[in-house]
Amino acid sequence: MNVHPVTLEVVRNALVAYSEDMATALCKSAYNMMIYEVRDYCCGLIDTEGRMISQNKGGLPIFLADLGAAVLDGIERYGLDGFQPGDAVIMNHAQVCGQHLNNIVIYTPCFHDGQLVAFAANRAHWVDIGGTRVGFGSYATNEIFQEGLQFRSIKIYEAGKRNDAVWQILLDNLRFPESSLGDLRAQMASCSLGERRLDEILGRYGIATVKSCIAEIWDQAEAEAREVVAGIPDGVYSASSLLDNDGRTLDKPLDVKVTVTIAGEDMIVDYSDMNPQVPTPLNSGFSGGLAAARVAFKCLTMPDAPVNEGCFRSLTLVSPEGTIVNARPPAAIGLWSIMLPTVIDTILKALAPAMPDIIPAAHKGDMGGVSFYGYRVDDGRRFLLMNIFGGGWGGRPTGDGESSAVSICQGDVRNVPIEVQETNFPFIVDEFGLRPDSGGVGRHRGGLGAIITYRCLQKTLANINLERIVDPPWGVFGGGIGQPNVAIIRRTDGSERRATKETNIQLEAGDRVTFLTAGGGGFGNAGDRDRAAVEEDLREGLITPEAAVRDYGYSQASEAAE
Amino acid sequence: MQRVGIDIGGTFTDLVGLRDGAIVIDKTSTTPHDPTEGVAIVLADVGTDIPAISDFLHGTTIAINTVLERKGANTALITTKGFRDVYTMGRNNRPEAFNLEFRRPRPLVPRSLTWEVSARMMASGDIVAPLIDAEIEAIGGELLAAGVSSVAVCLLHSYADPGHEQRIGKVLGRVCPGLFISLSHDILREYREYERTSTAALNAYVGPRVRTYLDRLEGFLTERDFGGSIQIMRSNGGTMSLGQARLQPVTMMESGPVAGMIAAGRIADILGIEQCIGFDMGGTTAKASLITDGAPEVREDYYIGGYSRGQPMQIPVVDIVEVGAGGGSIAWTDTRGGLHVGPESAGADPGPACYGKGGEAPVVTDADLVLARLNASRFLSGRMGLDPTLSAAAIKGKIADPLGLSVSDAALGIAKIADASMSLALRTVSVERGCDPRDTTIIAFGGAGPLHAVAIAREIFIPRVIIPRYPGNFSALGMLLAPWRQDFVRTFVGDLARIDEAAARAAFDELRSVGNARLSEEGLSEADTEFQFAADLRYRGQEHTIAVPLGGVGDLIGGGSESLRQTFDRLHDRRYGHAAPDESIQIVNLRLILRAIGGDRSAEWLSAPYEAEDVQPDQTRDVIFDDPAAPVTSRIVWRPGLAPGAVIEGPAVIEEPNSTTLLYPGDVATVTDHGHLDIAIAGEA
Repeated sequence: MNVHPVTLEVVRNALVAYSEDMATALCKSAYNMMIYEVRDYCCGLIDTEGRMISQNKGGLPIFLADLGAAVLDGIERYGLDGFQPGDAVIMNHAQVCGQHLNNIVIYTPCFHDGQLVAFAANRAHWVDIGGTRVGFGSYATNEIFQEGLQFRSIKIYEAGKRNDAVWQILLDNLRFPESSLGDLRAQMASCSLGERRLDEILGRYGIATVKSCIAEIWDQAEAEAREVVAGIPDGVYSASSLLDNDGRTLDKPLDVKVTVTIAGEDMIVDYSDMNPQVPTPLNSGFSGGLAAARVAFKCLTMPDAPVNEGCFRSLTLVSPEGTIVNARPPAAIGLWSIMLPTVIDTILKALAPAMPDIIPAAHKGDMGGVSFYGYRVDDGRRFLLMNIFGGGWGGRPTGDGESSAVSICQGDVRNVPIEVQETNFPFIVDEFGLRPDSGGVGRHRGGLGAIITYRCLQKTLANINLERIVDPPWGVFGGGIGQPNVAIIRRTDGSERRATKETNIQLEAGDRVTFLTAGGGGFGNAGDRDRAAVEEDLREGLITPEAAVRDYGYSQASEAAE
Repeated sequence: MQRVGIDIGGTFTDLVGLRDGAIVIDKTSTTPHDPTEGVAIVLADVGTDIPAISDFLHGTTIAINTVLERKGANTALITTKGFRDVYTMGRNNRPEAFNLEFRRPRPLVPRSLTWEVSARMMASGDIVAPLIDAEIEAIGGELLAAGVSSVAVCLLHSYADPGHEQRIGKVLGRVCPGLFISLSHDILREYREYERTSTAALNAYVGPRVRTYLDRLEGFLTERDFGGSIQIMRSNGGTMSLGQARLQPVTMMESGPVAGMIAAGRIADILGIEQCIGFDMGGTTAKASLITDGAPEVREDYYIGGYSRGQPMQIPVVDIVEVGAGGGSIAWTDTRGGLHVGPESAGADPGPACYGKGGEAPVVTDADLVLARLNASRFLSGRMGLDPTLSAAAIKGKIADPLGLSVSDAALGIAKIADASMSLALRTVSVERGCDPRDTTIIAFGGAGPLHAVAIAREIFIPRVIIPRYPGNFSALGMLLAPWRQDFVRTFVGDLARIDEAAARAAFDELRSVGNARLSEEGLSEADTEFQFAADLRYRGQEHTIAVPLGGVGDLIGGGSESLRQTFDRLHDRRYGHAAPDESIQIVNLRLILRAIGGDRSAEWLSAPYEAEDVQPDQTRDVIFDDPAAPVTSRIVWRPGLAPGAVIEGPAVIEEPNSTTLLYPGDVATVTDHGHLDIAIAGEA
C-alpha cells in the first residue's frame, strides 16, 4: 500500500516525537542520576513481532534497537492474547537481555480499538538490584546469581492491579528501594504516555496506514545505510587490541579481535576470534557485542538519523557463544559495558584503511567514572555518589580530537556538577581540569584527558574501574598514543598508591583520590603539525614547553632562529 | 502620554508608537555603524515630540549578534583554584552521540585568560580558604597587562554566599577602573558551575559593547530633552530599566523575537485561538514558538546556538526555535551543483542586490522580487525603491547560469528552499512536539513573514494563517505590550518536612529585600508590582524540579508545607503521570518573579474596532506561484484600505507599508473586526 508522502512525513516525525516524549517523561521524573544525568536509558515502541518502530535519540548510544528481545520473551510466555490493558512487565533476565541486571526493562501493551498493536517499552539503569555489590562495579562476582535479582517477564501489574508479592520482594532486596521504585513509577508513566500517543495517531490514520508508514520508514533507513556501505571498498578488514585484564588475573590482557567484511551493500562484523569469556563479571551477553557493532555501524552510516529496525538490516553480526561479548550463562556480566568502547574502537581501527577520511584515532576507551558509597556520619543515611567524567578523543582527519569528552558509548551523558556533588555528598572536589600533554601527538593532536581529585570528608568506600592502560588509545597514520588512565590514592599519612580495577577501597576522612583520564590518540605524523597549532597549544597550556620540544621539535629559540 | 517601542533587528529598525490612543509605525534600514542613527530616523519620520515621550521601550539584537559573530570584548574569567577548565570542558557530554566529527562550542574566554583564586567556599557557605585581597590586586594588574576590557567572575558555591565574588568585584573595581565586571551571583544564584560560568561569561563578553551602545542611545535621547523612562526588552518576556540592562546585558539576548511572541500571544487571546505557532521572519533568521493560552513557554535552559553546540545561559528565556532563513539570507551553489539558502545574510548593508547598495549576492528578497511577489515601488511605503533588474542580474550570475536554469526557475528554487527550511522550524514546535499542524494556526509577522507564511502553511498543512495589523513592526509592538519583569532565583536545598524555619525566613527576607531594592532602583513601588514566589520542588532523589507557586514563607514552613506537598503531588501527577504522596519532598530553589501591573493601554488598542483608511485602487500583476513559465495574473490590494469583513480571494498580493501578504490561488483572507487578516488556506481548512 502506497502512503501519501505527507502522511508518511507526519507519522515519521510523530513516532520519533512519541519516543522522545517517553524519554522526557522518564528522565524528568526519574530518581537516580544514572537516568537523569547519565541518561542510561532508552525508550521506544516495539511492534508485536519485537521490532523497533522508533526509539528516542538522546539515550545511551549502546541501547540500539535491542529492546525487542526483552519483549519477545514476554510474548513467548504469555502469547499475544495474553496481554490486557493495564499490564506492565518487568524484565532484566541475564540470558535474554545480556546486560547487567541493573538495566530494568518495563513494557506495557498498547491497544487500539481493543486490538493489541504494539508495546511501549523502556530500559533504565537502577542504582541497585541487590546482590553482593552496591550499585555496580564489583570484580568480586563469579556468576550471575551474585549480581542481584532476576525478573524474567514478570507482570508487575496485571490489568492495573499491582502484584504485591513482587513489589514486596523489591522492597526487601534493594539497597535503595525508594529510588528504584521511584524509577519504576517513572518508567511506567513513560510507557503509558507512549500508549496514549500511539493511540492518537492510530485514531487519526488507522492501523493499516500507520503500519504501511512504519514499513516505508524502515525501508528508507535501510536504503540509506546500504548506500553508505556500498561506498566502502569491498574487502576483509581485521584489527586487534587489548583489554587490560579480567579484573582478577591482573597480568593477563584480554584479546579484542574483530574482522569486518564489506561485501557490496552489506557489512559483516565477526567476533569469532574474540577472547573467551572470563570467570569475572567482565563479560556481556549477546546484547553487548551487538551494541558495539551497531554503534560503530551507525557512526559510519547515518549518525544523525533516528533509530529504528531498518537502520541495521545491512549489518550482520557473527558472535559465537562463549566469548567476552557473548558469554554463556550463568556467567557474571556485572561489568558488561566496560569493554564496549574498546570493541567499537577496534572495529573502527579495522576499517580505518578503507575510510581514511572518516575514521579518527582511538579515544580514551573506557567508561570513565567512579562510585563512592557508605553511610553518612551526620544522619546515618546510605549514600552513593556516581560521577562520569570524560577523556580525550582521537585526532581526526579534519582536526584535533575533542578533550575531556565521554566515551563513544555514552553520548549525551553529562558529568555531575561539582556544586551538586558537594551539596549532596561528603566530599570536596579539589580540582577538575584538563590534563596537559595527555593527547597523542600527531598532525591532528589527540584530545586531552581530565584530572579530577576527590577529598573525602568522612569514611567511605570506592570502586575504581580503569581500562586501556596496557594498550593505550592508539594513533593512526603515524600519530602517537594518548596518555593512559591513572588513579592515585593519597592517604593522610602521606602514603600514595595507584589503583586500576578495585572494589570496596576503604577511604578515611582526608584521603584523596585523583583520576587522570586518558588522552586520545594522534592522527598523522607529528612533524606535519602546523606550527601555529603548536604555538596555540603552548599559549593555552595544553602542551608543556618540554613536550613541544620533544614531540614537535618546537622551541621559541629554534623558531626565532628560522 | 506617549509610548514608543523601537526594535533594532539585523536588517531593519522598527518603530511602533502609541499616541493619544492611536498607533503610529515606521521602519528604516538598520544602521550598523551607529544604530542610534536609525532610531533618530524613525523618531523623526513619525514626527515624534521626544520630550513628550513617557516610555521608551527598546529591543535590540546587539547582544546576541555580538555572541554569534564573536565580536565581543577581550574577556577574562576568574574562578576558583582547581577549576580553571570547567568553562572549557563543559559537561563532558557529546549530544551528537554518533557524530565522530562532534565539536563542543568554542568558549568565549580562552584558557590563557582564565585566572584562579585560592578562596574556597562550601555549599553551606562555610569558608574553607579565605579571600586574599592582595591576590585579587595582583590578578587585576595582570588583567590590565593582558589588555582585557571585561571580566567574568564565577566562584564555586557563590550562589550560596556571594561574599567572595562581591569582594573581588570591589577590589577589581578599584584596581581596574573602567573594566566591565560580571559577577555570576548578580545574574543568578543557582547551582551548576558550568552553566553559571557560561552565563556570566556571556554577560561579560557582550557587556562593553552593549554598554557603549546604551550610553549612546541615552545620550541621544537626553540631548533632545527626553524625560521619560527607558525600558529594555529582555528574553523573559518582560522589560528592565536601562541601568539594569547595562549590568545584565545577557538578559536581553533574545529581546526582539521574544517581544513579537508576546504580541502574538495577545492576538491569539483576542481571536480565541487556544494553540498557535508564532512565526517571525525577518532579515536574517526565522523563528517559531508554540503559544498556548496566549503565552509562549519560558525555559531556564537556553543555549545560544542550539543545545548540542551552543553556549548555555541559565536564565529564563521564551522558548523559540530559530533557523537561518530570512529575507536577507544569501543563496549560493556548491561545487556539486546544489543550491542552498543561508545561513549567511546580506544584512542591511549592502543588503539584497535590489537595494542597489552594491550587494552582489542574491538573497531571498531578490527572489521574491523576481517572482513579482514583492512590489518594487511600494517597499517601505515606497521610500526605498527596489531595482528588480539588479535582483535578476545577481540571480542570473550566481545561481541561474552556474546551474543552467532560467532566472525565474532559479528564483522559485530559492524561495522554495527557504520555505522548506523554515517549515522545519515550525515542524519542530508543532509535529515534533506532538501538536498536529492540521489543528493549528500560524500567526505570522516580521517584514517577510506574511510573504512566506502561506507557502509554509501549505508545506506542512496548516489550515489557517493570521496576519496581524502592522506585522512588519510587530516586535516593536510587542514591546509596548510587555510588562516590566525581573526574575530572581536562590538555591535553597533541604527537605520540605524538615525545613529550618529561621533559614527559610532569612532566604525569603533576602529575596524580598533584593526584590524591593530592585524596585526602588527602578522607581517602582510594591503597590505597582506583583510579587510571585515559587519553590522548585522534587521528590528526594530526583533531579528535575517543578516550580510550585507560593504565597510566602508561611506556605513553606509548619502547617503550610502539607498543602504545598499536596499541590506538588498533584502537579507531578499531571505532568508526569505519577506521584508519590508518601515520599519526602526536597526543595531546591526559591524563585521570585516581579511584574509591573496595570496601565497597559497598548493592549486595549489591539482589540479596538478597526476602520479602513487610505483606500487605494486595486492593481493587477503577473505573479509566479508554482510554475515559472506560467505567471498568474493576481489582484494587488492595499491593506490599509480594507474594511472589516472585506474578503480577498487568491491569487492576490495584499500590500501594506512594511509588509506584503501573498495569497495562493484559492486562499481566502477575511479582515477581522480588529483589522487582522484571517486566511483560510485552500484545500486545508
